[in-house]
Amino acid sequence: MNATIARQMIAADILKLRRRRSTMVTAVLLSVGMATLYFAFIETRHHGNLAGPQALSDGATLMCMYFGAFAAILIGTEAGSIDLASGVFRDLAATGRSRTALFLVRIPAAIAVTLPLTLTGFAITVAAAYAFHGSAAAPSPGLAVTFAAWVTLATIVQTTLAVGISSLTGSRSVTLITVIGWNTIATSILYLASFLGSVRDLVLMIALGSLSPGQQVGSHAHPGSSIALDNFKLPMPAVVAVLVVLAWAALPAAAGVLRTRTLDA
Amino acid sequence: MDTAPLDTAPPIIEAHGLAKSFGSRTAVRDVGLTVPAGCAFGFLGHNGAGKTTVIRMLTGLTRPSAGTIRIAGRSLADHREQVLAQVGAIIEEPRFHLHLTGRENLQVIAAARGPQARQRIEPALARAGLADRGDERVHSYSQGMRQRLGIARCLLADPRLVILDEPMNGLDPGGILELRELIAGLVAEGRTVFLSSHLLDEIEKTCHAAAVIDRGRIIAQGAIKDLIGDTHTEYELTCDRPQVALGILAAHPALAQASQIPGGLRITLADPRAAGAVSALLVRAGITVLSFAPVRASLADRFLGLTSRVGENA
Repeated sequence: MNATIARQMIAADILKLRRRRSTMVTAVLLSVGMATLYFAFIETRHHGNLAGPQALSDGATLMCMYFGAFAAILIGTEAGSIDLASGVFRDLAATGRSRTALFLVRIPAAIAVTLPLTLTGFAITVAAAYAFHGSAAAPSPGLAVTFAAWVTLATIVQTTLAVGISSLTGSRSVTLITVIGWNTIATSILYLASFLGSVRDLVLMIALGSLSPGQQVGSHAHPGSSIALDNFKLPMPAVVAVLVVLAWAALPAAAGVLRTRTLDA
Repeated sequence: MDTAPLDTAPPIIEAHGLAKSFGSRTAVRDVGLTVPAGCAFGFLGHNGAGKTTVIRMLTGLTRPSAGTIRIAGRSLADHREQVLAQVGAIIEEPRFHLHLTGRENLQVIAAARGPQARQRIEPALARAGLADRGDERVHSYSQGMRQRLGIARCLLADPRLVILDEPMNGLDPGGILELRELIAGLVAEGRTVFLSSHLLDEIEKTCHAAAVIDRGRIIAQGAIKDLIGDTHTEYELTCDRPQVALGILAAHPALAQASQIPGGLRITLADPRAAGAVSALLVRAGITVLSFAPVRASLADRFLGLTSRVGENA
């Protein structure tokens, strides 16, 4: 498969996702909508005295760990199962195009749809952090870029995870319940289970949380100026955290490839 | 219909010893299939006989448990991508992304087929009669329009082989006529159409050759006229005084069987060349022969005679 065909296939997958109106509206509300709502609420509550760096941290956490992540999982799930659910997968497979390629194009397509949403949500955060920092220090551009990188990493990993699991199960509902349930309820329980020690480092959200640039915020934070968002932060070596996060993308993707290659279309 | 030179045409599909098992259940076994290029080829079988399983193996959707498939001279197992690039198929009912338009659905498949396929989207829509409906969502399409969009999707490959699994399902008589003409047009262009259908009359009208599958085995295949086995040995004649005519014919050496029917006789001749002599004998005996015509066997008769289902249910 050459680059032209890959580009065309990715564009076709983006088309399928963007035309899915209900999914797109929900994803926009979860990312851009929730970021707007959150900062409107904070601003109303604190009357123009929103702590700049803390606002960045909160906004990025909102995108990486909560609503932006839900949007990424929603779109990734759709991308992984849309061909199977519609019955078009067999027609795609009957073109002779390799099934590995049919699976792999889903990932960049889903990321291309999701990333603008979470980055827009984060951009609202950045705007709010600069516009309403009040007496607190404005966040540095470098910090904003670091948080943006964290949002990008988290979005790519969560989207890929959802594409892989969705392709594996072939079911939207099972994937949504499993991935969101794991990332919220199960992770919360594991995070608090201190007797598990460093085994908890293997949990995606905990590894992602440990990569959060949030600890840089502490000295600049304006106490009481925002809602503290718990981002499952545990101390662990950055290398371990990066490897764990990448594994959470690579293993579901590998499972998705395997399933796509072997299923009777 | 005109018969293509089936004996001389090189095969576009050659399947040998095909088998497919699902767990302990064997869906098809020892299937040998030879489809000549450039003809319309019917594939007949009762529900559950194994038609769709064979089609899914031919289109690479499921791997045979045993056996080999060659399409256009190449092994499907070894050259899957190149082989399937020449095949357009509707498998079972055509399925689409209902939230996309007809044109967008074709774009999705064209993207997987390659840049040339994108150039064929508009001609394919026009040929399927959907040029002015291509920007409507497939959700709003009728069953017939979806079948036609499925055909348009097949044409994106500029296929040498078109595989249609029950394409007439859900079509009204006008739609069936259009599809028949479309198939004839594809064959006239030198393409091969492999057509699975329950509509035996349609296969007889549309196809040059056919194969019959029963309980997972191919039990007959060949030119339609050979399958029907119509040797014109059975005749119906209408005449006055059929009782007398029966007595006259009883002594004729070519007569194998004769029975009286309302207004005439049904006779079976051991030698069809004797039909003229039999007719002349009756006329010379003063019998007024109003008509003397061979009884045409149909593909449906032959199919029901070959397959097992009717006998089981009786």
